[in-house]
Amino acid sequence: MGFGNAVTDAALRILVVEDEALIALELECLLDDLGHVTVGVAATAAEAIAMGRSTAPDVAFVDIHLVDGPTGIEVARVLSADPRTTVVFMTANAKRIPDDFAGAIGVIAKPYSERVVASTLDFVADHRAGRATEHGTPDGFCLAPAY
Amino acid sequence: MVITDARAPDNPISWVNDAFLDLTGYDAHEVVGRNCRMLQGSGTDPAEIRRIRAAIEAGEPVSAELLNYRKDGTPYWSAMTVTPVRDEAGIAYFYAAQADMTHTHQREVSMRGTNDELERLVAARTHDLSAALEQKTALLHEVDHRVKNNLQVISSLMLLKARRTPEGEARDALQSMAERIGALSTAHRMLYSEGDCTHFNLGDFAAEFLADVNAGLDHERRRIEAEVEPIAVAAAMAAPLALLIHELTANALRHAFPDEREGRISIVARRAEGGMRLTIRDDGVGLAAVPPNPAGFGRNLVEMVVRQLRGTIVWADAGPGTHVEIDIPLLSPA
Repeated sequence: MGFGNAVTDAALRILVVEDEALIALELECLLDDLGHVTVGVAATAAEAIAMGRSTAPDVAFVDIHLVDGPTGIEVARVLSADPRTTVVFMTANAKRIPDDFAGAIGVIAKPYSERVVASTLDFVADHRAGRATEHGTPDGFCLAPAY
Repeated sequence: MVITDARAPDNPISWVNDAFLDLTGYDAHEVVGRNCRMLQGSGTDPAEIRRIRAAIEAGEPVSAELLNYRKDGTPYWSAMTVTPVRDEAGIAYFYAAQADMTHTHQREVSMRGTNDELERLVAARTHDLSAALEQKTALLHEVDHRVKNNLQVISSLMLLKARRTPEGEARDALQSMAERIGALSTAHRMLYSEGDCTHFNLGDFAAEFLADVNAGLDHERRRIEAEVEPIAVAAAMAAPLALLIHELTANALRHAFPDEREGRISIVARRAEGGMRLTIRDDGVGLAAVPPNPAGFGRNLVEMVVRQLRGTIVWADAGPGTHVEIDIPLLSPA
């Protein structure tokens, strides 16, 4: 894949919170291509929170609608309470996101392209390292007002 | 008609006519010598009584409507005018004329009742309609959410299969299908984002589509530029137009720049008389240089979509490069 450029320094450890198995699997492959590590895939709020605790990921991609309902917002709130984790919503239901984004840094609107995922991860990596972003906020990614 | 003696104590009735007796059911001897308040009862409005009394004390004429009672106790609405009659010494009599307004009152009351009932019905209907609208809005969001999610699943499926397919024609086909779905997805994402679900802004789409395609290109060698006016087209045209723009740029990227040739593609969309003109131009090798491709799926797709949009297309060798000009009629000049 010919994209992803800011990740040469460090692979991110990523938790995928997504109840649609195909989307999760494809995302895992993509993350692998981009040189990142998927530390787990969770389909329910309880799984997501437990995996968050046990793995303390660098980044969590969180869908809002999970197996147990629209519980992704609560998941984001819990996961983002850990300063080690940056939460990014990944949803077709962006209207449900509360004004404070439940602590998430932003949202990738579904249906997304692989390129948006790649450039968002570059952006998040820059942000976590305290670097100025090279290319500005990626298209297709919407930053939370707090950031 | 009633005449009262203003100089006698308590202003008693001194004369009544037959109409008054017919109305009230009393005999003349039962009313003469008594004050008119004998006609009042529990339903008579005390404020209206005070108003009449104040006018009488001030010696001024007054008109009023009072609920009075007949001898048999049945109430009636009396519209009256009371006029003081003066002689040299001052007010000698009061002259009062009254009319039975019971029917008028009943009409008013029933009208008010009808109005209240109508308002209640309107309120109930409005409530029902709001509830229905709320339900429909929720349904629209749900459907929108599902469509987006399904597009994501379809694209994930294609990409997963592409990953597991050895490099070659099949894999390329899967990948380009995934890209087509991606272009449709971008169109769909933009469709409801502004809250207007009947129109689609071609300018916004082009910006987003380009950002996506350009992100995958080596900017030193190849670049796509767009100059697309913010044309609002009917929502039904969103998907075909997205596909059209995708196919033409993908075709140019695939065929115009063989052997690592550098190049530039430009997409221009402008409003034209009766519609819009879409021009896609590249500075690549040109149509003649590309070996004829009988499969030519991309080009077929483009011509099919143009036909669907009732448009016309002209392919030309621009020397250098290829020049595609498409005219599409727009029904509503929004």
